[in-house]
Amino acid sequence: MNDLLRILAGPLLWLATFSAVYGLNGVVCGVCAGGTAFGDVSLPRVIFAVAWLVAIGLQLGLVAALHTARLGSRSSFVRVVSRTTGWVGLAASLWTLFPTVVTSSCL
Amino acid sequence: MNALKRHRRLDAIWSSQPGWKGWFSTVNHSDVGRMFLATAFFHFLVGGVLAMLIRAQLATPHSAFAGPEIYNQLFTMHGTIMMFLFAIPTFEGLAIYLLPKMLGTRDLAYPRLTAYGFWCYFFGGAMLLLSLVLGIAPDGGWFMYPPLTGPIYSPGINTDFWLIGITFVEISAICAAVEFTVSILKYRAPGMSLAKMPIFAWYALVTSLMILTGFPPLILGSILLEVERAFGLPFFQAEHGGDSLLWQHLFWLFGHPEVYIIFLPAAGVVSTIIPVMARTTLLGYGWVVAAVVALAFLSFGLWVHHMFATGIPHMGLAFFSAASTLVAVPTGIQIFAWIGTLWKGRPQLHLPMLHILGFFVTFVIGGLTGVMVAVVPFDWQVHDTAFVTAHLHYVLFGGFVFPMLAAIYYWLPLATGRKRFFRLGEVAFALVFFGFHLTFLAMHWVGLMGQRRRIPTYAPEDGWTTINLISSIGGFIMAIGLAIVLLEVVLHMTTRHRVARNPWRSGSLEWAMTLPPPAYNFASLPHVEGRDPLWADEALAVRLARGEGYLGDPPDGQRETLTVDIATGDPDYHVVYPANTRLPIVFSAVTGLFFLSLLLKVYWLTPLAVAGVAAVGWGWVWTLGRREDPGTQDVGRGVRLPSSDSVARSPGWWGSLFLLVANATFFGSLLFGYAFLWTVAPDWPPPALIAPSLFVVAVALAGAAFGVAGIALADRANRRGGAPVSGLGIALLGTLGSAAAFAWLMIGTPDPAGHAYGATLFVLGAYGLFHAALAVLMTCFLIARLRSGFMAPGRAAGLPIVGLWMAYLALVTVPILLAAYLPWVLA
Ligand code: HEM
Ligand SMILES: [Cu+2]
Repeated sequence: MNDLLRILAGPLLWLATFSAVYGLNGVVCGVCAGGTAFGDVSLPRVIFAVAWLVAIGLQLGLVAALHTARLGSRSSFVRVVSRTTGWVGLAASLWTLFPTVVTSSCL
Repeated sequence: MNALKRHRRLDAIWSSQPGWKGWFSTVNHSDVGRMFLATAFFHFLVGGVLAMLIRAQLATPHSAFAGPEIYNQLFTMHGTIMMFLFAIPTFEGLAIYLLPKMLGTRDLAYPRLTAYGFWCYFFGGAMLLLSLVLGIAPDGGWFMYPPLTGPIYSPGINTDFWLIGITFVEISAICAAVEFTVSILKYRAPGMSLAKMPIFAWYALVTSLMILTGFPPLILGSILLEVERAFGLPFFQAEHGGDSLLWQHLFWLFGHPEVYIIFLPAAGVVSTIIPVMARTTLLGYGWVVAAVVALAFLSFGLWVHHMFATGIPHMGLAFFSAASTLVAVPTGIQIFAWIGTLWKGRPQLHLPMLHILGFFVTFVIGGLTGVMVAVVPFDWQVHDTAFVTAHLHYVLFGGFVFPMLAAIYYWLPLATGRKRFFRLGEVAFALVFFGFHLTFLAMHWVGLMGQRRRIPTYAPEDGWTTINLISSIGGFIMAIGLAIVLLEVVLHMTTRHRVARNPWRSGSLEWAMTLPPPAYNFASLPHVEGRDPLWADEALAVRLARGEGYLGDPPDGQRETLTVDIATGDPDYHVVYPANTRLPIVFSAVTGLFFLSLLLKVYWLTPLAVAGVAAVGWGWVWTLGRREDPGTQDVGRGVRLPSSDSVARSPGWWGSLFLLVANATFFGSLLFGYAFLWTVAPDWPPPALIAPSLFVVAVALAGAAFGVAGIALADRANRRGGAPVSGLGIALLGTLGSAAAFAWLMIGTPDPAGHAYGATLFVLGAYGLFHAALAVLMTCFLIARLRSGFMAPGRAAGLPIVGLWMAYLALVTVPILLAAYLPWVLA
């Protein structure tokens, strides 16, 4: 069971952060669409960018954990597959949440 | 014991009743798998006839063949049948039939559940077909968008057939998914670690997990819409705080994963057949597994791409557009693995291979148009045109039907023990392939010229006449091809042309048995050392028949098998299966009565049907008990194993765990719906909020805690040889309290029919009440078990299962209370 979880962890984390940021987008734009921070950068933009960085940080942490001897699997097959899916989660976070810093935040 | 005597002995134990009676009482996976496949292909036939009617109507402008009302039913039922009654059940049937054989065991984890799932599918499908015959079939399109399908615009019974019938059918999908998950994880031949599983099992495992998490949102949506239609609770009506977009979210949360649920098993077939046809092993096994897992998860982050045209905020569009393009990568990895496998082997162009080539061409084109519609501005142009219909058929027909045709020709010799002797299949392939591309290539074109989907007719001035005629001709050519496939299968089954064992010379275990397979599959279970056991040991089949594997000495009257450790594949428990029984068909008939009472609005029958379900369910579990300790069993090859009835992590525990995964997804979707309405729907916050009740909070929390603690106490007492009475008493008290608290919460909900807020809270309360009532029932069951002498330290399997459900009740109690009272506290 733990081996199964290791294999599923990376993409599962992506799914969670992806949905969370999508939800955050709805909530933040409902509450403070107009605010600004740091000069002329809008507040929502800052929040979303931070959320993206947090998501990337979490994925990095997971990949690192899967590479350790203590948290990685004992089966070499599961080790390879789980590390691959861990990297998949990281790549997916980078690519799918990239719009947080480029598209209009609340339109 | 010699091989023949062993065969006779096993056959007497495992066979279903002879004649037609056997159909109603069999629980054997080979029987039920065949029944599933036959029923699914019957539905394919019906769906195909509907498609022909659609194409006949569209062949000429101003066609008067079918009026708009009938046309609406035609395309709705075509889509619905193909998706829910053909594609998913075909996967279920194929996996039910094949998995135990591939995994080197004798049956799936819960044989009676296999049969129950089949009958739910059968009755649910019959309900929908009946509506078609009566001319009152669903007509709101296969995705049933409200407000069109709401009580105001679709007052008739048509929509109810869909909502209730499909929910009934979904039960079978959930049953099958739980069963496959547990079977693949636990019911394998000894020695088969995760790394040595046949690749199809990985695909089936991932698909099953996707069903468990993908179907609940749809079941929730269907229940909410049906409740809105029948009782007026407004979830989707904007004027009462509802939002029709909520349906679209729930539907596509299911709907996009659904297309991958259809595609992945087909890809599993391709990954299984290609290496055999190329006389080599699959290139990059680990990469393929990783790609399948990645694909499964990515497909859950795409649902909004079906809603690009609904006015979603830009950033949301960009997220889902990015995710939609990304999903092409793991699909591409698989395609490269297949090409690489063909490259390194010596491919032979047998008939299954032909269909796989057809799959390649068609699916790649469908994938490319898929990337096109993933790009938002392009999608805005072609949304709801024939271009989208063409795209979806390239992926569904290309990605599912071609691989399934390959599967038919590949595994037919296994199922029948015979070979084909006419070469009709090649002709059929040519007709299907060219017919398909003629039909749907043309539809891309006419879609780009502006023909919308789901229109009953068009005018000559539109300029679509020639293309539509070509498309319809293509459709009929394809239909002739498919009819020839059917003809050939029938000929194959009725002629005597025995095939040698393992005709394709595959390395996989399903070919290590006599053909057609006996009811028990393997006379003794193999010990697996690698991914291709039959290549490693050509004489394996003979050695297994001689009883050189595990469980080669069948005791009288017991259907036995063993389970393994999930990761390593070391044998861990000995299992005895239940035998032939009519309980599954009775159980699903009673379940059907419940759905029927809702459909026909005979509400006095509903509580009776619920009581019936509870009673039959009680009997179902009751028969599993033992009054004496099983002790450890000799399973052969010098191994002794404890019985699965004696351990905490029994098959029932694993099944409950995965059922609860599905259940939690259902609950999560409900909370999502609540949050969605709060943030997006007009007319919120609601006019009146419910005020926190100290009684409800205290009793619900205490009840949940008592339930968990009571079962834990009882379990400990039982394992130490004491009497679990006091623990069970505490649990009963707690669960009764929980039930009372949730009932009180429901009573106090402000006007459920007036605003979506009250309606959603009411459903949340009902969800809690349902689980509390279930917990009461389970506790009573345990008490009855205790009194009848079924509980002992050596039979510890029952209590942990109920413990799991108690923990779940506690887990959902907190969010329900928060959802109910937090808004008032904050306001
Ligand atoms: C046997 C050959 C088939 C033909 C000739 C065919 C033809 C068609 C046509 C012409 C439509 C468009 C109806 C309209 O927009 O007015 C359609 C819709 C559809 N088809 Fe098929 N189809 C076939 C097989 C399949 C298969 C195998 C599947 C799925 C596994 C499928 C799933 C669907 C779906 C989901 C729709 C959309 C229904 C809706 O708009 O509500 N079809 N089909
Ligand atoms: Cu999609």
